[in-house]
Amino acid sequence: MIRAALIILGKDLRLRLRDRSVLLLAVVVPLGLTALFAAILPDDQPRGITAAVVDADGGEVAVGFVDGVLPALAADEIVTLVEVDDEAEARREVAAGDIDVAWLIPAGFSDEVGAGRATEIAVLVTAGRVLPGEIARGVAEAYATQVGHVGLAVVTAAEVAGSAPGPADVAAAAEQAAATPDVVRIVQQATASGDRLDSTSYLAAGMAAFFVFFVTQFGVTGLLEERQQGTMPRLLAAPIRPGAIHLGKIGGAFVLGLTSMTVLAVASSALLGADWGPAPGVAVLVVALVLAALGVLALVASFARTAEQAGNLQSVIAIVLGLLGGVFFPVPGDAELLRIASLLSPHGWFLRGLADLRATGDWSVVWPAAGAIVAFGIVAAVPAVLRQRRASTW
Amino acid sequence: MAKLLIGTAPVLSCEGLQKSYGDQPAVVEVGFDIAPGETFGLLGPNGAGKTTTISMIAGLLRPDAGSITVAGERMSPTAAAAKGAVGLVPQDLAIYPDLSARENLTFFGRLYGLAKQPLRTRTDEVLEVIGLTDRAGDRAGEFSGGMKRRLNIGIGLLHRPRLLILDEPTVGVDPQSRNAILESVEQLSGEGLAVLYTTHYMEEAERLCRRIAIVDQGRLIAEGTRRELVATLGEQDLVRLEVFGDAVAAAEACAGVEGVRSADVEESTVVCLMHGAGSRLASLLGAVAEQGATVTGVEVREPDLEDVFLHLTGKALRH
Ligand SMILES: Nc1ncnc2c1ncn2[C@@H]1O[C@H](COP(=O)(O)OP(=O)(O)OP(=O)(O)O)[C@@H](O)[C@H]1O
Ligand SMILES: [Mg+2]
Repeated sequence: MIRAALIILGKDLRLRLRDRSVLLLAVVVPLGLTALFAAILPDDQPRGITAAVVDADGGEVAVGFVDGVLPALAADEIVTLVEVDDEAEARREVAAGDIDVAWLIPAGFSDEVGAGRATEIAVLVTAGRVLPGEIARGVAEAYATQVGHVGLAVVTAAEVAGSAPGPADVAAAAEQAAATPDVVRIVQQATASGDRLDSTSYLAAGMAAFFVFFVTQFGVTGLLEERQQGTMPRLLAAPIRPGAIHLGKIGGAFVLGLTSMTVLAVASSALLGADWGPAPGVAVLVVALVLAALGVLALVASFARTAEQAGNLQSVIAIVLGLLGGVFFPVPGDAELLRIASLLSPHGWFLRGLADLRATGDWSVVWPAAGAIVAFGIVAAVPAVLRQRRASTW
Repeated sequence: MAKLLIGTAPVLSCEGLQKSYGDQPAVVEVGFDIAPGETFGLLGPNGAGKTTTISMIAGLLRPDAGSITVAGERMSPTAAAAKGAVGLVPQDLAIYPDLSARENLTFFGRLYGLAKQPLRTRTDEVLEVIGLTDRAGDRAGEFSGGMKRRLNIGIGLLHRPRLLILDEPTVGVDPQSRNAILESVEQLSGEGLAVLYTTHYMEEAERLCRRIAIVDQGRLIAEGTRRELVATLGEQDLVRLEVFGDAVAAAEACAGVEGVRSADVEESTVVCLMHGAGSRLASLLGAVAEQGATVTGVEVREPDLEDVFLHLTGKALRH
């Protein structure tokens, strides 16, 4: 079974190598698009975000934020702090877009926290500055989580929303929160939120993920081509298990997908200065994604009658999943619906996995994302397997 | 009927084969044996069920009923030993146009489990047999129709099968290539290979096959040597009258003439099967003239397989 599958796989790879379109789809086009986008898109780096803080409180909890957290971020060049006199000025500058974000700490903030009553840090965001808004929110959120009892209101321009409190021993918590390296770590991750990878790496990974769903398509078209070419009867007449033909096609698609992504990861790093993160983690995510693509492939194979149909179906699925997953542009952090939708996309999980990988440098953080991606592939393959069971012949 | 090769176990024996697509029967109660060195013909028009029969014999399709034994092994889609004994040459070209002739042969040879060195030797031999040694390295897609057909046959021969199945191998081939194909089939059968040959060319069946089965609408309607099949028509003559006018009316009139056993219409020709054509030709011509039709050509000859088919089914073999 395996031997026959390998013979078929070898034959297919030989044919694919002669067929330039695979090379185009697997390497040239994604790499070219990455280079093109990287050149024309402004480098959307969070480094340059400018922010102001208005501390109308001055109490211990507020000081923990203003003098503890923010200077650390400024030192890491994540935030450039701008002096403002009062809330009115902060609002004017945010409205005018002179600064990206402002944190407003209301009078009585520390007392309220101390008394366990509802209070909040408001985050003002200049309209359209999705990324800095995310970062500012992440910063405040991280601090709020540490302190324990602070609500959070994100506002684009003006209104402020309420939120819930909790009891207890807050001043100490605030102090501890400001001092703990955790806050800063969380914040550093949050800084990348939405585009946690630098844009070239993000684009390269996104393109590779997008195109791998097209590259693996050759598994299905290969199967249908055998039928259209008339070679299928010959394969079926050979003294091999009928399953070996499927196995060979799937194996071929797997090899092509893996090769495409590996070449893209290496080439985008070498030629375009992308950095996907530590290799073992990248490898786990890449294998998971190729498996997910194979799951979709199996689904398409069980429904399509011709190679064209298969191509169209697979393209539609690849484009929808790619868009949801944010391969072309990051999913904005404040668009909840899109965020949830991106959880259904293996591309989204792939990019999130890479972002976590980059943020932590620890390759074991990719397992949840890899698991989600593989789970997606399995779910996609289930109908195919069921249909295959029912069909007794070809 | 006397079997020639008594004592030699048949390479193929099948019986009671049935296959339907949906509720449309394609093959009904088909069975026959083929001995080593024997070429057996399946002769039938388009849609008769030839390819379906062959697909079951080659293990591509599971029959709804019936049994198939090849080289002593029970055939089924998972029976590797039985499948290894069969060489299939599908009706439609089954070659990879982007691989060279040699690569095509090598790929299938490996699927049939041939080891590296024997495969190389055998590939050279087969290339020689199919006359493609000079073009071995060229893409099969660039070959002429006849060369593709020969490669198609070569792949079926590569693993030295005991039973070679050729499904209309000469369709769309020029007379020269066609002759080459027929000659190599004759040679292979001379070497002891059992051949199952389907065609709707009567001449090919007559030339190659010792025994012929005539199939129509999924049924095997007659089987035997050419002589036996023609003898089913009795000591009769075949008269073909080319008619200008109402051929159907003319045929009905002919059927009434004494000695005429059957009168069928093939386009503008009335085909009569009759006793004593020499003495009754005048009455035949008279009967046609009475219908207001004119006879523009007359042919009298011994019947052949095509006439057997026409007689058995009431329709022409070729359309
Ligand atoms: N895959 C299929 N699905 C449904 N019907 C089929 C299928 N294959 C063949 N048939 C039908 O079965 C009948 C026999 O077809 P088959 O191909 O066996 O005929 P054939 O004798 O080989 O004809 P030809 O000389 O045209 O090749 C035909 O009526 C055909 O329409
Ligand atoms: Mg046929």
